[in-house]
Amino acid sequence: MTQIAILYDSSKCVACKGCQVQCKQWNMLPSPLGKNVEEFSSSYQSMPDLNGDTRLIVTYDEAGTAGGVEWAFGRRSCFHCSEPACMAVCTGSAISQLPDGTVMQDKTKCVGCKYCMAACPFGTPQCRDSLGVADKCNLCSDRVAMGREPACVQTCPAGAMTFGPRDEMVAAGKKRVQALKAEGFGKAELYGETEMGGMHVLHVAKFGLEAHGLVRNPSQSDAVSLFDILKPLAGLSVAAVVGGLAVSFVTGIGYEKDELHAEGVTKEEEE
Amino acid sequence: MELTRREFFKMTGAVLMVTTTYEFARQSPALAGEPEAGWKLVDVRETPTICCYCGCGCGAIVSVRDGELINIEGDPDHPINRGSLCAKGSAQFGLRSIYDPESGERMLNPNRLTKPMVRRPGSGSWEELSWEQAIDEISRRIKATRDANYEEVADGVTVNRCEAIASLGGAALDNEEGYVLQKLMRGLGVTFLEHQARVCHSSTVAGLGGTFGRGAMTNHFCDLKNADVVMAIGSNNAMNHPVTMEWVQEARAKGGKYIVVDPRFTRSAAVADIYAPLRSGTDIAFFGGLVNHIIENGLWQKEYVAQYTTASFLVSPDFAFDEATGLFSGWDDETQAYDPATWGYQIASEEPWDTSPTGPYAWTTKPGVPKFAPGVNKVAKTDPTMRDPDCVWQLLKRHYARYTPDMVSRVTGCPADKLAEVWDAFASSGKSEKSGTILYAMGQTQHTNGSENVRAMGVVQALLGNIGVAGGGINALRGESNVQGSTDVALLCHIVPGYMAAPVAAKHPTLQAWLESETPASGYWANKPKFLVSLLKEVYGDYATVKNDYAYGMLPKLNAENHTLIGMFEAMDKGVVKGMMLWGQNPAVSAPNADFARSAMSKLDWLVAVDLWETESAGFWKAPGVAAAAVQTEVFMLPAAVSYEKQGSVSNSGRWIQWRWKAIDPPGEARADLEIAHQLFKSLKEMYEAEGGPNREQITELHWPYESEGHADVTKVARGMNGYTVVDGKLIPNFPTLAADGSTACGLWIYAGYYANNEAPDDPAKQATGTRDRSVDPGDLGLYPMWTWAWPLNRRIIYNRASADINGRPWNPARTLVAWKGSAWKNNDVPDFVWKTVLPDGTEEMVPPNNKAFIMTSELSARLFSTSMKDGPFPEHYEPFESPVANLLNGCQADPALTFGSAASVKPGDAAQYPIVCTSFRLTEHWQSGSMTRNIPWLVEAIPRMFVMLSVELAAEKRIADGDWVKVFNNRGAVEMYALVTPRLKPFRVDGKTIHEIGMPWHWGYASGLATGAIANDLSPNVGDANTSIPEYKAFLVNVEKA
Repeated sequence: MTQIAILYDSSKCVACKGCQVQCKQWNMLPSPLGKNVEEFSSSYQSMPDLNGDTRLIVTYDEAGTAGGVEWAFGRRSCFHCSEPACMAVCTGSAISQLPDGTVMQDKTKCVGCKYCMAACPFGTPQCRDSLGVADKCNLCSDRVAMGREPACVQTCPAGAMTFGPRDEMVAAGKKRVQALKAEGFGKAELYGETEMGGMHVLHVAKFGLEAHGLVRNPSQSDAVSLFDILKPLAGLSVAAVVGGLAVSFVTGIGYEKDELHAEGVTKEEEE
Repeated sequence: MELTRREFFKMTGAVLMVTTTYEFARQSPALAGEPEAGWKLVDVRETPTICCYCGCGCGAIVSVRDGELINIEGDPDHPINRGSLCAKGSAQFGLRSIYDPESGERMLNPNRLTKPMVRRPGSGSWEELSWEQAIDEISRRIKATRDANYEEVADGVTVNRCEAIASLGGAALDNEEGYVLQKLMRGLGVTFLEHQARVCHSSTVAGLGGTFGRGAMTNHFCDLKNADVVMAIGSNNAMNHPVTMEWVQEARAKGGKYIVVDPRFTRSAAVADIYAPLRSGTDIAFFGGLVNHIIENGLWQKEYVAQYTTASFLVSPDFAFDEATGLFSGWDDETQAYDPATWGYQIASEEPWDTSPTGPYAWTTKPGVPKFAPGVNKVAKTDPTMRDPDCVWQLLKRHYARYTPDMVSRVTGCPADKLAEVWDAFASSGKSEKSGTILYAMGQTQHTNGSENVRAMGVVQALLGNIGVAGGGINALRGESNVQGSTDVALLCHIVPGYMAAPVAAKHPTLQAWLESETPASGYWANKPKFLVSLLKEVYGDYATVKNDYAYGMLPKLNAENHTLIGMFEAMDKGVVKGMMLWGQNPAVSAPNADFARSAMSKLDWLVAVDLWETESAGFWKAPGVAAAAVQTEVFMLPAAVSYEKQGSVSNSGRWIQWRWKAIDPPGEARADLEIAHQLFKSLKEMYEAEGGPNREQITELHWPYESEGHADVTKVARGMNGYTVVDGKLIPNFPTLAADGSTACGLWIYAGYYANNEAPDDPAKQATGTRDRSVDPGDLGLYPMWTWAWPLNRRIIYNRASADINGRPWNPARTLVAWKGSAWKNNDVPDFVWKTVLPDGTEEMVPPNNKAFIMTSELSARLFSTSMKDGPFPEHYEPFESPVANLLNGCQADPALTFGSAASVKPGDAAQYPIVCTSFRLTEHWQSGSMTRNIPWLVEAIPRMFVMLSVELAAEKRIADGDWVKVFNNRGAVEMYALVTPRLKPFRVDGKTIHEIGMPWHWGYASGLATGAIANDLSPNVGDANTSIPEYKAFLVNVEKA
């Protein structure tokens, strides 16, 4: 089946946060209701990171240069890896991969173990505290299924995001990088073409990966070994949750994963 | 088969439907509503709306199921935004509903007002009251205040005015609501009638109108894609009008250049091809330098300038400019004003109007037309060689010779090489086939010489041949969804609907005096008597007859006081204004010198605040440091409806009048502003009929056929605004059908045609304003003539005659708007010139090309030199009212004709104490005074706290660290907030001296349940521009220290 992808072009993004807010609007995610509960962030980036109620944030990194300022905008959310570490460690078979490459997180199957949060080399899955489950971008698979673009893509007023067949997005991304280099942005590069087996959210990084806060050479193996260290610790807290949701595991369908162990820890496939 | 993107989505959608079918047996209630649980939009009713925030006019789709709001996202069919919405637009849902962070459940936004409330004098709290009681009590107070303070005659002139009541607000209202509101207010004799347009783009109207004849954005949003160069100056368009970037990027993709000139390195600057810094308040120096650069380097569009501008016109030899004093000829020290007598043209001939039965002015002699002296057209002398020393071209050259690159760099603080880079890039659009457009907003308008800033852009664009062409123009980016419309309907003290002068007692004591002084002898405005008489027929119906001068006497006549927003608060402070109504406006935060505005409000007897929220203005008696018990003002707070909870039309910045349908009922007892105004009218009319009162006919005789089934009917208002023939009530198709003999009624002549379908007067969807057909796009220029309707006459790019040469050949055939094909005009846009005439036998005859490209000026040309301005025919640089440096370009420090400079409330500061330039700005995430965004959790989270932006250098000098709590202060006040220290702001080198500039957003105040913070406008000066008294929010002096 055709693989799909979002191409995010940081050189066109004006960081208006339309995507950040429309993501919450479509996905019905709340924001705090207290008075003046948010801290001043010293930036237009309002939240330091994603949280359980926020699947996408616009990031701002600025650096003074001799000629002025490099103001690097970014779109921080799930990358939808071809080899998703989160899925590899998911204890509740809540994370699965659609044939088009979307990495789905099904909150109804999540046991709240937080392994995915630890395993992801980008730290994108977050715990939605009010529900005790993990939460992350599902690439608006419901919208895509109905022939619509993901909410973030459709809402972008700067034309900084496009959505379509992944090979086309990769080609368009490479072309943009070339064009930017020709304009004098020598550090421009495309992110996501090969990382993590190839990601389904690609970034055109105008000022180079580091300037936009993108992790160079992320790897699943690192992530999974991190998971190995955390496993015994996390397993304890998971056990209690699992008891209450035992029924869910009987019907839960794992994805490339062994059956669930009684103590609530997934046994990884041995290869 | 090659698939389009949309088809691809459709196909993959069909496939993915199967793979993403979910089985949910165990979902928690909180998850049941999650989109993944099933298609979120199942069984919803979808209603198109127009975004309620800025003036772009983006479309959105509102989805409602069982009376519950489910979703609001961009309308993919809408040509302007094609499905996109910025942070604010994406949060429109939050105006009504939010999600509870604990349960995840959807609930009504708890900050919405749902019941009328009153705060009794001296009380510390609100109490509820019924609508009946609220309307009755408010009407009672209006009547008492009006009756005790009404003037029928002053100095022998019938004035019929009430200076004691003020009405402020309306830019967030629909056109029909705004029209009815100004009609009601003028029907009470109200003269202090103002709204946000005064403080955002009033200088645009004066500057553009004084140059081209109309005061509106010349082009429109989709047209930005046609530009070869886009220059944003005084506009952070990526931040405040984000959808413009979609179109700017289209232009860039075709090789276009995007230039940003701004004191701060903004989000716009971040994506610009060229960024140039400019000290706040030095735009005319920048544009004057550009004019000089264009002339010195021969970059003007020669034929365009010769044919379509006043370059060849000869000016009186007595005209002069004195560099030493910085004054033009005609200055009167005593009146502190110019007598423009020496600014006139040399006259070649005088041509009286031909009023013979077959002449063009035969209409003036028809029965029913009020008596006035026919015009005499004074034709100016011209010198086609443009060598006469008195011709405009030579005067222009001489005037701007002083604006050398070195001088401009010293004044503006912009490095000379940057200036040259920007000027070269922009002046490249002077080639006849090229187009360059200017995007601007408050950075140009909110200065004491704001109107001249706008005119300066007009001069540049006329020289480069960029007016009237696709991809060109001067694009005033309007900041509220209907601030264009609220200006059109004239919720302003100085005009009546359709940009005609509001009567001034001394100048317009009678209808005849008005007609004679306001009707120019040439140009399309010569038809003005038709528009005014038709307006009066709409306002007073059968009561308006030729015998009573069409009830002209009922219009309140202004005295010599300045009735603009600044003047309104001065009058309130002096006790002249005793009662005020606010319609979605929040002056406690948005007025200049806001602390003074709040103190003036405390002197009111009563205040009515109609809004969605409890604003700082409604709760001004709760402001920090105010003792509620000491405030005797009675305050009524009325709950209004959100844009998608009512229906009506809104005019975007590009003059598109789009219909906004109702998607859902307002919550609780909230009501549309139209209904509130209607009920107030009915109550007042009843009181005046029963009890009488001074000149009661002013209100009781108002023609008010706007009701259906006991409620206001917006479609009936639309019919009155569009206009109709009096005898049969048939809607008129356009304004050329209007007459001055009382046979037509029309509330807003420039809108004639927007609601003209007699087949379906009740159905906006079948009216021009409601059309939604994007498939028609002649010339592939993004004109979309079948998507809604644009004033005037559905012209999408005004002055489009100038897109073709003197022989009617388009300068750029790929951007054809109009073209003469030997015997006929072939047009992609509706022609904005006299292109055909109707012969007496009814047949039409094409008019071959001529040079009359600007039909709204009496010269029929674009004015490089303008006599309509109060501070000079050429824009001249003056420093802001408060400036840290001396004016290097002439001997006059600040604009000589600026207003309110000597008011005691202003408390000016000098540079010794306050050496730092401060400007204010807006953020994408918030809007205006913040009441519409600080009450929405998604947006509060997106930028939660008030801050001041400081350069690294100034922070080091003041020992301020990023994130410190700091105090910004001047003689008007002191406010505290966080410091945002950033390299995106750099000190300026001005004439060898370092000048620091800081910036504050003005979205915070004390009245929100979610986010509160300092009011930036406590520091801005309440001084006004010379022409329109727009306040100088964008450059004033402060100091800053660690708190």
